[in-house]
Amino acid sequence: MSARLFPTQEIGSLQKPSLEALREWEERLHFLSRLPRIPEGVLLHPDVATLQNLRAAFAIALLESAGLDRVYDGEARRVEMYEYAVRQMTGFQFQGHVRSWDSKYYRKGTVVNRVDLIAPYHLDEFDFVREHARTAVKLPITGPYTLADWSYNEYYLARQAGWKGRPQRRAAQREFVVDLARRVLRPTLESLIDHGCRVIQIDEPAAGTHPDETPLVVEGFNEATQGLDAEFSMHICYSRYQDLLPALLEAKACRQWAWEFANRDAEGHDGYEVLKLLREYSDTRSIGLGVVDVHRDAIETPAVVSERIQRASRYLGDPTRIWVNPDCGLRTRSLPVAYAKLQAMVEGAKLARTQVEGPAR
Amino acid sequence: MTVAGRPIYAGLTSPFPRPERLVAATRDLDRGRTTPELAEKAFIEAETELLALEERLFSNVTAGYFRWNDLFRPIAEAWGGFTVGPLTRWLETNTFFRQPILSAPPRRTAGAIAARLPPPLATRTAAARVLLPGPFTLTQVLENRSGASEIELLRSLGRLLGEEVRELGGLGYGVFQFSDPILVTDPPEAPAAAAVQDAYQSIADAHPGATTIVWTFGAGAGPALPLLDRLPVSVVGIDLADTEPEALRPGPERLGLGLGIIDPRTTLPEALDDTVGVVREALRRRPSSSVWLGPGAPLDLLPARPAEQKLLRLSDVRHALLREGLA
Repeated sequence: MSARLFPTQEIGSLQKPSLEALREWEERLHFLSRLPRIPEGVLLHPDVATLQNLRAAFAIALLESAGLDRVYDGEARRVEMYEYAVRQMTGFQFQGHVRSWDSKYYRKGTVVNRVDLIAPYHLDEFDFVREHARTAVKLPITGPYTLADWSYNEYYLARQAGWKGRPQRRAAQREFVVDLARRVLRPTLESLIDHGCRVIQIDEPAAGTHPDETPLVVEGFNEATQGLDAEFSMHICYSRYQDLLPALLEAKACRQWAWEFANRDAEGHDGYEVLKLLREYSDTRSIGLGVVDVHRDAIETPAVVSERIQRASRYLGDPTRIWVNPDCGLRTRSLPVAYAKLQAMVEGAKLARTQVEGPAR
Repeated sequence: MTVAGRPIYAGLTSPFPRPERLVAATRDLDRGRTTPELAEKAFIEAETELLALEERLFSNVTAGYFRWNDLFRPIAEAWGGFTVGPLTRWLETNTFFRQPILSAPPRRTAGAIAARLPPPLATRTAAARVLLPGPFTLTQVLENRSGASEIELLRSLGRLLGEEVRELGGLGYGVFQFSDPILVTDPPEAPAAAAVQDAYQSIADAHPGATTIVWTFGAGAGPALPLLDRLPVSVVGIDLADTEPEALRPGPERLGLGLGIIDPRTTLPEALDDTVGVVREALRRRPSSSVWLGPGAPLDLLPARPAEQKLLRLSDVRHALLREGLA
């Protein structure tokens, strides 16, 4: 729990700005002052490492400037949340592009050997964020279930005898998830914690894809986190959360559910009602409450954000359990839109705080 | 060709994944880095290459349906009453479609679907397999702001799909596959089940000479078989990656049996012996007048190269069954 009501945080990715955009944002955010002096010539034609540092410093400054209480670097160094992680492991091959929609594609890996970790990852980016952030830091990392669900399973499936029907696929997927949790995620989390990382968000956006596999989401989470000394949360989005409950509640080390709600909160449909279920199950963990929709450009007003926070508070029966965040990573929005949404979110949290606690003295 | 006296067919049951060159061309077009003419050339090359492979391996051809952004888009774009809506997850996959939004009574636009079929099919209509969304799945995925009830919608979409089949039949097309996975992932109950029957009846009545296939995937078909067996179609297709053969039971003699024996959710090639074995077991439990083999779930869940390898395996299985039948 936080010292004040309705603290704010980000969830993950931001759009990666071009050099030109970085120059424009520098005038507003002055993020270069956070970095050792970079010669003008290098700024004009930065190498990859410098560009990544610039983008990370920019993202930290943008999130802090919007007023967030917990920040990260907008995942500035990651290609995206799946491929970046898979490239830190052995056992995978990439075989080509799969269409996500229209002419948008992603590269999906095939696990062809038992997975293993090349070296713990996200350490350098975490060190950079910790060094350059002025507020608290929360690190997002892709969870084992999502890594498995977004991959083709050859190695583990081939170990199943005979026709590969649903039971065989399920058994193979369990082996895959548990291996990812034990051999990849856990040693990486241990190293991050050794580096001083205290707050870690396990991203499991695939959790809602096969609700009947929720016990496997939980098993992967528990294998990766059990006994580790950090504050873990689990981010899930675009899912029917009621279908994941109560099985999901067995994620022992999870201290916060960071879920998307705003996208489904429309006229005639209460996107937050599902929170009542947590109360019914007597689950007292905190909620990372999605209050701005990352799939629409329209900027939520502070009043809308505040109303959502207060409605969720009523459903949970405890306003102190609420953290306020966007539904998901904001990388699908332009940076000006993302910034405006974050500002509205912070203002909305302030408004809700005032309305619940009364004006600050 | 027959196995133990029954014809056995094989072919694609979904759009084929875009080959890497087409991926690059469409991506470049999206980002303004190439011209529509060069992208069109990439489409034609992809269609030509796949068609050549299909004509070598199978009796039905599709030419890949590379131009379709999703199964519902032609209707969402072309039929009256519809608009193209937000991105929506396609069943239990990490792919998305644009949700059709129906704001007024649906109206078919003559010629619109024909114009959107892969161009090479126009000269091969007799061998072409026309892919269309099944009426139940279409009803379930769209956002209904039209004021019509689900039952009314099922019946009206069935009539419109029937008119589509009649028009395409007039152009020489004879094989129509309706992808209707939600019939098994979330089977309809009465009275929706009766409306599903009515919808397929409209399709059957529109072109009695056509071969109509209802293709399902995404969940075990066992619970939905009583309804599937009542549908007035030529073939009922089920996905053996999701349906245990033990769940099959004898169906009406008039119905052909479609078997999804290629699983696009893994790049692991299907083992020939295991696959032949599971087909044999399925046919033992559900004897059928004809057999239609294909990928169960849409093959475009794979990248193009492993998908092509799986098509070759599909052909291998068919030939192994034919050899067995002739032995």
